[in-house]
Amino acid sequence: MKTLIFGAGNLLLSDEGFGVHFINYLQQNYRFPEGVELYDGGTLGIMVTHMLEDADHVYLVDVIEAEGEPGDIYRYEKDDFMLGRLPIKMSPHQIGIQEVLALSELRDRCPKKISLFGVIPQSYEAGVELTQLLSKKLPDLAELVVAELRADGYCVETI
Amino acid sequence: MARITLDPVTRIEGHLRIDVEVNGGTVTNAWSSAQMWRGIETILQGRPPEDAWIYAQRFCGVCTTVHAISSIRSVEHALKVEVPLNAQYIRNMIMAQHSVQDHIVHFYHLSALDWVDVVSALKADPKKTAQLAQSISDWSGNSETEFRAVQSKLKAFVETGRLGIFSSGYWGHPAMKLPPEANLMAVAHYLKALDYQRRAAQVGAILGGKNPHIQNLCVGGVATAVNMENLATINMERIAALRTLMEETRDFVQKVYYPDMLAIASAYKEWFKYGKGVVNYLAVPEMPEDTKNTKFALPGGIIANGDIKGARIISNHQDEALIGNIKENVAHAWYEGENSLHPWEGETTPKYTDFQDNGKYSWCKAPRLDGKAVQVGPPAQLFAAYAGGNQKVKKLVDDSCAKIGIGVGDLHSTMGRLGARAIRAHLMADYSLEYLDKLVENVARGDKTYANHTEIPKGEYRGVGFHEAPRGTLSHWIVIKDKKIKNYQAVVPSTWNASPRDEKGVMGPYEASLMGNPVADSEKPLEVLRTIHSFDPCIACAVHTIDPQGKEITKIKVL
Repeated sequence: MKTLIFGAGNLLLSDEGFGVHFINYLQQNYRFPEGVELYDGGTLGIMVTHMLEDADHVYLVDVIEAEGEPGDIYRYEKDDFMLGRLPIKMSPHQIGIQEVLALSELRDRCPKKISLFGVIPQSYEAGVELTQLLSKKLPDLAELVVAELRADGYCVETI
Repeated sequence: MARITLDPVTRIEGHLRIDVEVNGGTVTNAWSSAQMWRGIETILQGRPPEDAWIYAQRFCGVCTTVHAISSIRSVEHALKVEVPLNAQYIRNMIMAQHSVQDHIVHFYHLSALDWVDVVSALKADPKKTAQLAQSISDWSGNSETEFRAVQSKLKAFVETGRLGIFSSGYWGHPAMKLPPEANLMAVAHYLKALDYQRRAAQVGAILGGKNPHIQNLCVGGVATAVNMENLATINMERIAALRTLMEETRDFVQKVYYPDMLAIASAYKEWFKYGKGVVNYLAVPEMPEDTKNTKFALPGGIIANGDIKGARIISNHQDEALIGNIKENVAHAWYEGENSLHPWEGETTPKYTDFQDNGKYSWCKAPRLDGKAVQVGPPAQLFAAYAGGNQKVKKLVDDSCAKIGIGVGDLHSTMGRLGARAIRAHLMADYSLEYLDKLVENVARGDKTYANHTEIPKGEYRGVGFHEAPRGTLSHWIVIKDKKIKNYQAVVPSTWNASPRDEKGVMGPYEASLMGNPVADSEKPLEVLRTIHSFDPCIACAVHTIDPQGKEITKIKVL
């Protein structure tokens, strides 16, 4: 079994880079065992399909455009993707994530479990730092994901 | 008269809006508008020049390595740093395989569904499909079993109503002309293509340390080393792995993508008549084969008015006439002023107005070469190399045209751009292996240099890093002052092509290429998408069609 934590986002547009900052945060604060892979996917979509296909369980972290307050994080599961229940303008990097997964399904390579954590951004201004509001969300989301990994039997150490 | 607006709304790498006016089924006016301010160059000001490439490769989500290459070259040009042969060969392989990956994905995943009807594939006879596929290629994946499996999987998908998830095409549109068997063949290859774009990405990861963001560049070379015996470097085992990956992608490109492209081009020959647009072209030389960036495998060139034979060949990256004659105009772009500025003097001061048909309407500046709009991309590179006497290019272009039954001049078109890209992928697949051989030979000769260590000196320096990227000529312009970046501008291929009108009212390539395009059904402007997609715009995104009142009439998913 392999679990992939996939951070998407553009590092140069402040909160847009949330997924990438999240990966960096995990790397700095935890030690992960074999079988868990952290991946800074930038803003690629279809060109990283193979990364998703290689995993059994995928955690996708990205910004979303949805009703709510900046800093709110929403969770979506595989069926939301496969049955088209997500808002169309879910994320700037959606690059048809639904299409990508449908393609994988047609290829018999779709991961069994996919969980998307989508955060509503506060700012897309040019800049390599997150806003304070989103920066504060990193530890909470990290704890949540790490707790799930541990429940799945992975030995994740806190540094 | 009908006005159609195609607007993708939220994307990072694209944000393109296209407006067309249609009279009697023909496009009579067009506007291309970038919908997001790309001010990320300002992030680089004040940073150390040797780090610029790390940030620059985050400019765009799709073409990361090209910005890294252009950026590092801009510093090397500014400081007149030579790049060792080993480093050039390693960079060449990264560039060539990135091109292969990019072109495969563009053809199958971003543009094929403009020409291929997925639903029609359900009606195909798998046996006849195999016969068709085997008649155009000896690739091992074209069996009846394979096509039957794809078809039944697709059928199951459609029966559960799930095609809608990835439906992006105008299935059943009258402009779709391929027979069911050709559609099934293309759908099967569309699914398979993902395995091969992956192999190309793996080459980038082995050579560059990481994919999608390479880690191995440094001013003056690369941080990668080759040592046949050392496990920590590119060793014998990795060289063998690179060769296998590159041979497999070559086979896919030459035995699947290229023949598929020829088949589609032959079935839609009328599309060599549409989409001509701007026929001034620019390409810069690429694949350096010396340490000073003066000798290149593929020459660049400037072509005026479609006159390929009369091209002015550009043979190196120090061409003063080229460097001095690029300016960006903002008369119709949402920036302060009306002026044309050279990129070293470039300013990025936003001034947003509404979308004004006759005023400012785009975040994209209008780059001009010697005051002229120019088209960049695979056709430009092929035309320049053709005129410059590259025999490999000449033979491949002539053969391809003969097989389709067109002349070289027909490549100034929508289908010509798609064809030129397939030809370029064919070439790049070969170049990848050629540079692997050259690297191995050079290392065997005892050359152990991978970088010329460079200290950034005090004082002011200006440089430009040119790269002939998959989408065309890319240039990064840097001004260094006292070890810090003073100014930084990137003139990217899509800026040349997506350019708005300039101060003289001259249209950019996207706009001009749409003039005269047919549009059979203004609610389903498939033909507009075909022409825009032929440029491989960086808009791998969901596009919405809205009418002037803002009412959504059709949702178009472009991927």
